[in-house]
Amino acid sequence: MKTNRHPLDALGDPTRRQVFELLRPGPRSVGELAAGLPVSRPAVSQHLRVLEDVGLVTHHRNGTRNVYELDSGGVTVLRDWVDGFWNEALARFKAAAEKKGESR
Amino acid sequence: MNEALVIEVVRKSVTVDCAVEEAFRIFTADATSWWPVEGHSLRGSEVREIVFEPQVGGEIYELVDSGERGHWATVLEWEPPNRLVLAWEVTPEVVGTEVEVRFQAEDDGTRVDLEHRGWENAVAAAVEKRDSYDTGWGHVLGKYVQRV
Repeated sequence: MKTNRHPLDALGDPTRRQVFELLRPGPRSVGELAAGLPVSRPAVSQHLRVLEDVGLVTHHRNGTRNVYELDSGGVTVLRDWVDGFWNEALARFKAAAEKKGESR
Repeated sequence: MNEALVIEVVRKSVTVDCAVEEAFRIFTADATSWWPVEGHSLRGSEVREIVFEPQVGGEIYELVDSGERGHWATVLEWEPPNRLVLAWEVTPEVVGTEVEVRFQAEDDGTRVDLEHRGWENAVAAAVEKRDSYDTGWGHVLGKYVQRV
């Protein structure tokens, strides 16, 4: 996250949330996003900047177009943490299961 | 370019030296005996018991000394002693993810395969629940950040 602003605060604005939802199926250019929304292209760009500031979306240039997509960074960190957690949990499960087995 | 967000599934396997029925029972009914509650539960060392309600729609929750419950998950599929699927809901940021555990007999015991998937849903589900979790998020993310 690039600022202290909360990611979900950025989604409090209904249009901004719509922009976010339009990106769920996959990357879109600013033009494509604007075509699906009742606001101007500069307004869409402004919303995208806010979403990018809080780390919810990311963009790259494709020729003259800016293409935006959801930023999986935060969730990936969480996923990796859960990955390590299951290693620990299953090691303990194995120890418990085998201890019970011995005492039968 | 046009692909939707995909985040790698968490996959784990472990082979335990006991029968399938026993492995399934210890994983579920006897989770209290092995779950690392310290750092991996809502109330840490206060947790007295982990309860697995053994049916579809059943709840998995932690019970603390004061009698309070902390919800962890909901049973989506329950096929003892071979398979179970849970909707993992212990904190708002993991809502939308699922845990599937399969138990298979092998020559020398039971192979346990665990899959924790649906990470793409986690962000979106959290956003949908924004209103109900508005205050919870800050707290949970704070805890999460401390832990990482």
